[in-house]
Amino acid sequence: MIDLIVAVLRTGTPMIYVAMAGVLAQRAGVWNLGLEGLMITGACASVVVTEQTGSVALGLAGAIAFSVLLSALLWLVIEKLKANPIIAGLGLTGLGLGGTDFGIQAVYGSEGAVTAPAGIPTLGPGFGPFGVLDLLVIAMPVMVFAVWFLCRRTRFGLRLTASGEHPFAARSVGADPARMRLIALLLGGVLAGLGGADLSLGGLDIFSTGMTAGRGFMAFSAVIFGAGHPVGAAFAALFFALVEFLGIKAQLVFGENAPRDFVLMLPYIATVLGIWISARLRGGALLSATEMRDG
Amino acid sequence: MASALACDGLTVRFGAFTALSAVSLSFPRAQIHAVCGQNGAGKTTFARACAGLLAPSEGSIRIGDALLRGGQVKDARAAGVELVHQSFALPPSFTIAEAMEFGLTGQRGAVFTRRGLQARWQPHLDALGVEAKPSTRIRDLPVETQQAVEIARALAGNARVLILDEPTAVLAPSAAAALFQRLTRLRDSGVTILIILHKIREVLAVADTVSVLRGGRLITGPDAVADLTAGRIAAAIIGHSPAKAGDAATETAEDIGALVGTDLPHGHRHTVSAPHAIATLAGITTKPAADGQSLQDISLTIGAGEILGIAGVEGNGQRPLVEVLAGLVPLTAGSVTLDGTAVTGLPLAARRNLGLRIIPFERNTEGLSLSSPLWENFAARGLLAKSALSLINPSALRRAAHAAFQSWDVRFTSVDNPARSLSGGNAQKVILAREMDDAAKLIILAQPTRGLDLGATAFVWQAMRDARDRGLGLILISSDLDELFDISDRLVVLQGGRVAGQFAPPYDLGRVGAAMVGDH
Repeated sequence: MIDLIVAVLRTGTPMIYVAMAGVLAQRAGVWNLGLEGLMITGACASVVVTEQTGSVALGLAGAIAFSVLLSALLWLVIEKLKANPIIAGLGLTGLGLGGTDFGIQAVYGSEGAVTAPAGIPTLGPGFGPFGVLDLLVIAMPVMVFAVWFLCRRTRFGLRLTASGEHPFAARSVGADPARMRLIALLLGGVLAGLGGADLSLGGLDIFSTGMTAGRGFMAFSAVIFGAGHPVGAAFAALFFALVEFLGIKAQLVFGENAPRDFVLMLPYIATVLGIWISARLRGGALLSATEMRDG
Repeated sequence: MASALACDGLTVRFGAFTALSAVSLSFPRAQIHAVCGQNGAGKTTFARACAGLLAPSEGSIRIGDALLRGGQVKDARAAGVELVHQSFALPPSFTIAEAMEFGLTGQRGAVFTRRGLQARWQPHLDALGVEAKPSTRIRDLPVETQQAVEIARALAGNARVLILDEPTAVLAPSAAAALFQRLTRLRDSGVTILIILHKIREVLAVADTVSVLRGGRLITGPDAVADLTAGRIAAAIIGHSPAKAGDAATETAEDIGALVGTDLPHGHRHTVSAPHAIATLAGITTKPAADGQSLQDISLTIGAGEILGIAGVEGNGQRPLVEVLAGLVPLTAGSVTLDGTAVTGLPLAARRNLGLRIIPFERNTEGLSLSSPLWENFAARGLLAKSALSLINPSALRRAAHAAFQSWDVRFTSVDNPARSLSGGNAQKVILAREMDDAAKLIILAQPTRGLDLGATAFVWQAMRDARDRGLGLILISSDLDELFDISDRLVVLQGGRVAGQFAPPYDLGRVGAAMVGDH
């Protein structure tokens, strides 16, 4: 049981950070499909910078810097060049996946993997089975609370939500929805960069191309699953992590008897089912943009 | 004494279109100033420019002694100008407390607890006599309460100039009276009020001065209301040609009264000898839609050769009523009969073949495909009735559209132009040309004159009367009581998805208004 909790926290935490970036964007009115690109950029930059400088702190800073930079680019393309946010987000994901792949191969040769000399500090052996949890995992609940507080208990958060739900209302009280979206995307860039860094520097300390494997999209699903609510999205991400863990367990238990590809598919099937069920529970209103930002 | 708000040579252009042209006005403090005009006169543009939401193309706006930087809502609000929008600008998922908080300026209390927030705003609601809990969500509030919340929000920031953009358009008569009392109290406490109105009756009831806009220009104002008569204001609003299309009508004088809202018409009894039922709704009940509207045990009969008016505050079942007649929503109980045929389970295409026609609520999204050519918009009617595999003949359809548009007096350059190239009135004529064909038997008109200028409105009314005289059944859904009283042969009031009252001419405003708000 403790194994399960530890495993779910380790898999879930990177997704939760990225999902919080998605929540902020969602509330400000951007369907951020670039999360996957931000996540892999954070994963790549953190390992590369750590490998080059030997400092994990600088690695994290690098992950944040690149992710924020890409988020700013997304904002420019959406707000200034008036591009469709969905397409621009998908483009960002393509840029992140392709750019990291290209960059790694150009610098480190064709292996497509880099190993960092150190990872994010963990609790250590003194904490028994929990010792493998790193500091970003420990900080995760605080971070989720902070995002919730920002969105639901500050005037800034109300204006952020209004910018997405009813931009004209935001404008009428003197808030600039475009500026609110910039703030949301930049803050999200910080969180998505950390999420990516936790994926690569939070255990194996290796970056390999394409290692996010759709986790950024899972984080996006978690945002929708959680109806744009930070706590809801965090639990959705944990649910996805649980399904993934169970999928790996199933693989071990059934071995050759179950087709490997089918077992790997399970998390995604569970995602679809989960979203369908939550949509039914909400009376089918899930996809209505104004209904998404409740609670 | 400096005026509370003044504009000088105010011009606002949207691309090549000039919405406001060199308007110079100065409003003294602590009075209620009405701004009137027909649709398209520039009233809303004027209100938004004064609130800083739109930047003037030319000219200037002064609030007190300070010049307002255009397009800067923050500056306008800091100077004490607050705008209450026509369709309310509050995020529907917010609670009342959140909706009041999110617009607040200043640093105090930028962080809050839920209880603290509710405690902070409860006194503001109480002060305005708004009976609602601060924890209620905006989308669960009736329109008049939403409006009251927005006024409370506007006043929370110590407003000195309150601008209201057509606040009475969505209100039942009694709610409008309550609003006017509230505004009078505010004026007496020193607030300057600019109120956009389009009914002269309301101007006379509440305003101290009136200014009239027409075609983006200032015609007169601000003039003291005490010195004016309804007729002079009406003349200023209408201009030289009072509703051209009205010449054929016998009710012209009453039409003009209804158009500008001087005296409420009482309606005429238009008797049909033994009318037969063209449509019957029996015991209709539907599930609540996403917006919460539903129908509860609605039974109605629409006779051939009559205009049945549907009155009610918006959101009380008007939309489900149209959808039930169109066959777009499942019924939990009841049945629909169209021209003697039971159509309860039939799809819209089958109902259209029986003569059902609809002029929908939203002209630009439901009524027309703005990006498609005019002839395609027109041809959609006939193509719906054919099978998916049948061939179409574009040149014949173009010719048919051309002929129909000409007989309906649509001003268009080519049937190949997209529908978005037309003005609101002409776009509505295209829909009328499509829906009011010879095979039509029952026509539903949902807010058919909303947003149209006086001439186009009179045209639509005349078309409805002509269709009635040809023996068609018409259902007119409107939130404008003047319109309903003027041309309905019978009136049904919807309230909370139920029939709250049925009326025959002469209509009594008091009784109809009471039914609209559910006082029996």
